[in-house]
Amino acid sequence: MIKIPKIFKNIRVIILILAIILAVLAIKPVSQDGVAIRFVEKDSAANLAGIDSPEKNSRPLDHEIITHINGQSVKNIEDYFLLIEEIEINRTIRISTNDNSYSIKTLPKVMIEYTGNTTTEIKEVFDEKTNSTINKTFEINETIETIIGVAEIGLTVYNAPQNNLKKGLDLQGGVRVLLQPEEQVNEDVLNRIVENLDQRLNAFGLNDVVIRKSGDLSGNRFILVEIAGLQKKEIEELIGSQGKFEAKIDNNTVFTGGEDIKNICRTADCSGIDPNQGCGKLESGGYSCKFFFGIGLSAKAALRQSEATKNLDVLTENGQQYLSSNIDLFLDGQEVNSLRIGSELKGRAETQIQISGVGSGDSREEAMSDALANMKKLQAIIQTGSLPVKLNIVKADNLSPILGKEFLRTALLTGLIALISVGIVILIRYRTLKIVIPVIISSLSELVILLGVSAMFGTNLDLAAIAGIIIVVGTGVDHLIVIADELLSKDSITSNLKEKIKSAFFIIMAAFFTTFVAMLPLVFAGAGILRGFALTTIYGVSIGVLITRPAYAVIVEYLLKK
Amino acid sequence: MEEDKREEIKEKKPFSIKRIYEKEYKKLLIIPFLMLVLALLFLGYYQATTGSMVNKGISLKGGTSISILSSDISSSELSSQLNYEGELNIRTLSSAGNQIGIVIELDTIDEEIVNNVKKIVEKEYNLNENDFTIETIGSSLGESFFRETISAVIIAFILMGIVVFIYFRSIVPSLAVILAAFSDIVITLAIVDILNIKLSTAGIAAFLMLIGYSVDTDILLSTKVLKKKEGTIDQRIHSAMKTGIMMTLTTVIAIIAALIFSQNPTISQIMGILLIGLLVDLPNTWIQNVGILKWYMDKKKK
Repeated sequence: MIKIPKIFKNIRVIILILAIILAVLAIKPVSQDGVAIRFVEKDSAANLAGIDSPEKNSRPLDHEIITHINGQSVKNIEDYFLLIEEIEINRTIRISTNDNSYSIKTLPKVMIEYTGNTTTEIKEVFDEKTNSTINKTFEINETIETIIGVAEIGLTVYNAPQNNLKKGLDLQGGVRVLLQPEEQVNEDVLNRIVENLDQRLNAFGLNDVVIRKSGDLSGNRFILVEIAGLQKKEIEELIGSQGKFEAKIDNNTVFTGGEDIKNICRTADCSGIDPNQGCGKLESGGYSCKFFFGIGLSAKAALRQSEATKNLDVLTENGQQYLSSNIDLFLDGQEVNSLRIGSELKGRAETQIQISGVGSGDSREEAMSDALANMKKLQAIIQTGSLPVKLNIVKADNLSPILGKEFLRTALLTGLIALISVGIVILIRYRTLKIVIPVIISSLSELVILLGVSAMFGTNLDLAAIAGIIIVVGTGVDHLIVIADELLSKDSITSNLKEKIKSAFFIIMAAFFTTFVAMLPLVFAGAGILRGFALTTIYGVSIGVLITRPAYAVIVEYLLKK
Repeated sequence: MEEDKREEIKEKKPFSIKRIYEKEYKKLLIIPFLMLVLALLFLGYYQATTGSMVNKGISLKGGTSISILSSDISSSELSSQLNYEGELNIRTLSSAGNQIGIVIELDTIDEEIVNNVKKIVEKEYNLNENDFTIETIGSSLGESFFRETISAVIIAFILMGIVVFIYFRSIVPSLAVILAAFSDIVITLAIVDILNIKLSTAGIAAFLMLIGYSVDTDILLSTKVLKKKEGTIDQRIHSAMKTGIMMTLTTVIAIIAALIFSQNPTISQIMGILLIGLLVDLPNTWIQNVGILKWYMDKKKK
């Protein structure tokens, strides 16, 4: 029997089959080994070797996948960590990915400690007054450098994805922050905030982030930021800070973050732990480390600086000459540092400036990583400038990837068990596979099409969306029962099968409309926190009544006629 | 003669559920109405004593929730270790009866306190950063979420009412469907409060879903009674009931499976509320809505 059964010529069945094919193409299930790159830390060894974070709105299967390290194959995250643990300082490691190969030079992790002693050093300095070189004495803190290990190469990876479905934060971990502008702002300002936050996160090395405006029924506006797969405390701080960076001399602003900054040094020779200050023990018991980095100012800002320093007095302290006022650095109104200005800078339009700050922690290592994290945060903020208004963090979620993985596993298990038990109940009631098999097929195809839609639009599949899918499949089964009962009824007046299906769809459409309108307000309510759930349910039931349930009716009708 | 006698015997049978259901529907209406009145009274009392009709969880009043995947943290032990002065609530997450994790809820969003709690747990149970899910929400946003979701429920309810009116174009049957949905929500909320379930935003979403779900059976019933011409009204109700109970049964089975295996608080809460709601919907559809419809049809005949 090569003849195509008549059922496959029915337009409703053809639409269903096409929808399933499209969905599977969008989901694109594949089988691949390796680890996918989620995030590359800015200026890390890996970044310097040319590896970048995934692009914005990239699909999971577009992420670069590491397949080999030093010729040894990497099948999963365990392999990756085993191989990465073995690396030594100042070696070149080869990382092969699915579309490139990189040589990464490993760098040492250096601890700089302040001994508490100072030494003096004589340096030749050009003196403008006398127009000649003179010898000047500098006081220098004595520090010792020790290598404490291998610096991290800066990669965050995860097991290679097997399809194009984007898992939501609650399933793969990540950071979610809801921000509310402190004052009422218009759409234009909101757009600027979104753009600025995006640049700031890019400057930090994060490209693939979700930054979305949202609102609620009372007209409040919010900004939702979601970063999947990473749990870093500094991200929250980076987003939450308005980032109003100002350098002032005698309360006159000399330069601010953003436009006044031409470049920011991120390489080891002009950024990192301050070699002249290092780390030291605090009286309170903890440790603190100083960081520094150089910035290049615009010509305009340099000119302002020369104006501001022109009339300052020169003071002599411990044999060194400084100007009478400091340059004070403020971040969001809080003084972060106050720096002495060397007398040689008086009235000069200097474009190269050094910014410094501190980090602290319970141990030396903690203090050091805190200082470096603060440095990166400050660099990103200075580079991209201030947000137009202050934003308040009204909700902050830091979600565990381990917990998420467990949630996903049980969600799948639950779905399977639910479907099987529903199948058994239906089999007991109707005692014929002609009803049960179409129900199972119809529910599964609804599931596949829903996932396909999610993959196509690149929306995050989170727990709320899964709850939505469960609801859709649940109403689906209900509707299939209505159809089955109508078709099986021994109603003599409407003995025509077409009439029976029409009558079933009268009920189904009513149920569809009520579910649709019941979910509608949730799309707009409460800063869009349940938007994913509402939207999944809405498009899910729509797909159900338009595609799968009509096809089911045709299939059952066909099977019953046989 | 023979036939008449048999009818008589049937009539006299003292405890025939079918007979009571078909003939005494007006008296039966007392049951759902009594449930509704009791639920309203309880909610009034609850509002008066606690200040809100809803037992709000962290996501609706602000605070911090810390979730950890671990099977060996004991909640009572942890509670004494934390030594927290404010409102502290520790729950376990379980799947198929086994503990798989723990949730600590604090009524504060103070970073220092939260970090402190985290550090204690980290040390006691040898955990690291990745093991924690920490969710914080400011109290004003929590309050606003609450107002927002309540508005959403009200708007959804009104929209649903409009759809039902457009569909049936007659007042009494439409009102009966709307009343059934209203009773479902009110009675379910009262039971949720009695069971001391703290509602989250997801919980309120479950109420929205309940609006969609619960009217399904009412619509099925009304359509069969009003639009079909086959058989007696009782026969049509019987046919609707066969389908309707089957619909509820399959859903309840799926929900129970989800409740047993899913340890996720969001999913568990949605499923729990739906389960209560669907059970509450049984008398509201098959006694209340049936009763009103029959009454209406009787009047119409005369």
